[in-house]
Amino acid sequence: MAEEFHRATFNKPLPAELGAPAFVDGWRNRALLVGVIFVAAAVILGFLGQAQDGLGWDHFLRAWVLGLMLTFGFAVGGQALLMVQYCSGGKWGLLLRRPLEAMTSTLPLVFLYWIVLVLFMKRLFIWARYPDAASAFKSGFITQMQAHCINFKKPMLNPFAFTWVSLLCFAIWGLYAWRLTVLGARRDTQGPETTPYWIKKLENISGPGIVVYSVTITAASIYWVMSMDVTWFSTVYGLLYLVEQGFQVLAFAIIVAVALSKAEPYHTLLRQTEQHDLGKLTFAFVMLNIYLNFGQFLIIWSGNLPNEINWYLDRIRGGWGIIITLDFIFHWLVPFTLLLSRDLKRNKKRLTRVCQFMIFAVAVNLFWLIEPNFKDAARNLHFSWGILEYAAVPVAMTAFWVAYFCMRLKTRPLVQVNDPHLAEILEPEHAHA
Amino acid sequence: MPPREGTYGLLAEFKTPGDLVRAARQAHQDGWRRLDCYTPYPIEEAAEAIDVPRNKVPLVTLIGGLLGGAAMFALETWISVIAFPIDVAGRPTYSWPAFLVPAYEWTILWAGLSAAFGMLALNGLPALYHPLFNAPSFRSGATTDKFFLCLEALDPKFDLAESRAYLEGLQPLSVEEVEY
Repeated sequence: MAEEFHRATFNKPLPAELGAPAFVDGWRNRALLVGVIFVAAAVILGFLGQAQDGLGWDHFLRAWVLGLMLTFGFAVGGQALLMVQYCSGGKWGLLLRRPLEAMTSTLPLVFLYWIVLVLFMKRLFIWARYPDAASAFKSGFITQMQAHCINFKKPMLNPFAFTWVSLLCFAIWGLYAWRLTVLGARRDTQGPETTPYWIKKLENISGPGIVVYSVTITAASIYWVMSMDVTWFSTVYGLLYLVEQGFQVLAFAIIVAVALSKAEPYHTLLRQTEQHDLGKLTFAFVMLNIYLNFGQFLIIWSGNLPNEINWYLDRIRGGWGIIITLDFIFHWLVPFTLLLSRDLKRNKKRLTRVCQFMIFAVAVNLFWLIEPNFKDAARNLHFSWGILEYAAVPVAMTAFWVAYFCMRLKTRPLVQVNDPHLAEILEPEHAHA
Repeated sequence: MPPREGTYGLLAEFKTPGDLVRAARQAHQDGWRRLDCYTPYPIEEAAEAIDVPRNKVPLVTLIGGLLGGAAMFALETWISVIAFPIDVAGRPTYSWPAFLVPAYEWTILWAGLSAAFGMLALNGLPALYHPLFNAPSFRSGATTDKFFLCLEALDPKFDLAESRAYLEGLQPLSVEEVEY
């Protein structure tokens, strides 16, 4: 009784306008502009690099993989977080549901990005370039170890398997993306009495979905990035990407939520409590990320085996030590120390800054993962025009992705109305008062 | 020190946390500074309402954690490099990657212990005696379902009759005088 009275007296009303505010179109236009500028820069750098060392377009493609992994992380990671939220519940997730759905439904663009990978497979993967490993070894293109590994891993590392496994993964992600977004919209057209049905229904889709996701992301990350170095293997590799996706998706979602809160409906909906919760969750991913990355390093370092350690030596020696140190600082030290602060997590502007920096750190980490796979760069970090592609191509690809995301965000109201948590979000900040 | 005598303060009981927070906010606005809220579970808003100063527990935790991590790292370094160097398959005796894990664990351990004991040290627990337990209503429900605001006699504004009237104006369930 008292509670009823309390709600009626103190709760804020649901904002009248639930759609995405008009400035989202401005974001889209700005993103498109950035995309076009960086495409131009990437093309120029490609020519410059080609003239310099003949690797300009190779670097373009390597940087393309970085852009692919980054946007793939947003699209499929967003889908994973959406499913986690359907299973775990929580007000933080209700807040993010529509942005996450918009991220999820950008999958077609990621698929387009991936097609480039298939078309230029031979430039990126030595197992695709030298199907006949023995003669490639004789001609001196690859080492004996690489030749051995190409032969041994042939059942998995061949263009046919690469294409079809990836297509299968896309089909699965597409299926989940379609189900989750369609059902999310359908739920809103029905009354509150259907809530128990929807909670169960979405749980039943999401639970197995998370398991399937962890398998598909392992396959995708092994095929798209890890197999650039045929000699190396690590069982935690897929998990590293999984955690990385949680890291970048939460960072991006916080940026979006805070930016949206300049206008209704997020002005009302984004309370400090939930923002603080999101900050804490992000902090957990920062910790989990370094835990897995350092765990992998420590195990391989301790083992010190010739078939494993080279992967790290390629990425530490010859100047790469600087990059891995920066990676550690950007990826863990900075977000960790800053996100420890309670005040920072409750401050919109500063939290946004940290999240932007975290996405930058993800890109640095991907650069460190991708570039040393190639003979010209392993244990030899050196400047070339081509290496600047890593700053041009991923920015362009992410900018186009952001533009697409903004378009998706405009397609439906920003709040799921048919959810029992909504009333709680509309309560005043001081829930007890 | 001789035992203190006289009035400790006036204790007002409220039915809901919301009522308590509103009353506390009002009292703080009206210039009361020696006042405190007592609730069965933590209510951050109550602390905000009376503007409790920031405590030093985070600083104690940080220092404890850093000292713990440094101590363990130093211990490992001392053992492996100076006290008992062993050649493990040609690895350097100063193998910092392997030292990080225990050092990290000690950081967490000492941060946790510092937080817990720093909290106890700074909030004065365990206290063997507190005058508020002289109030029957406090004894019977302060840890279950009653919410209290106490205006302390140390406040320069305090006057037994006027303050009681003031508290009653905040619409509590009851107002009690508490003796030392």
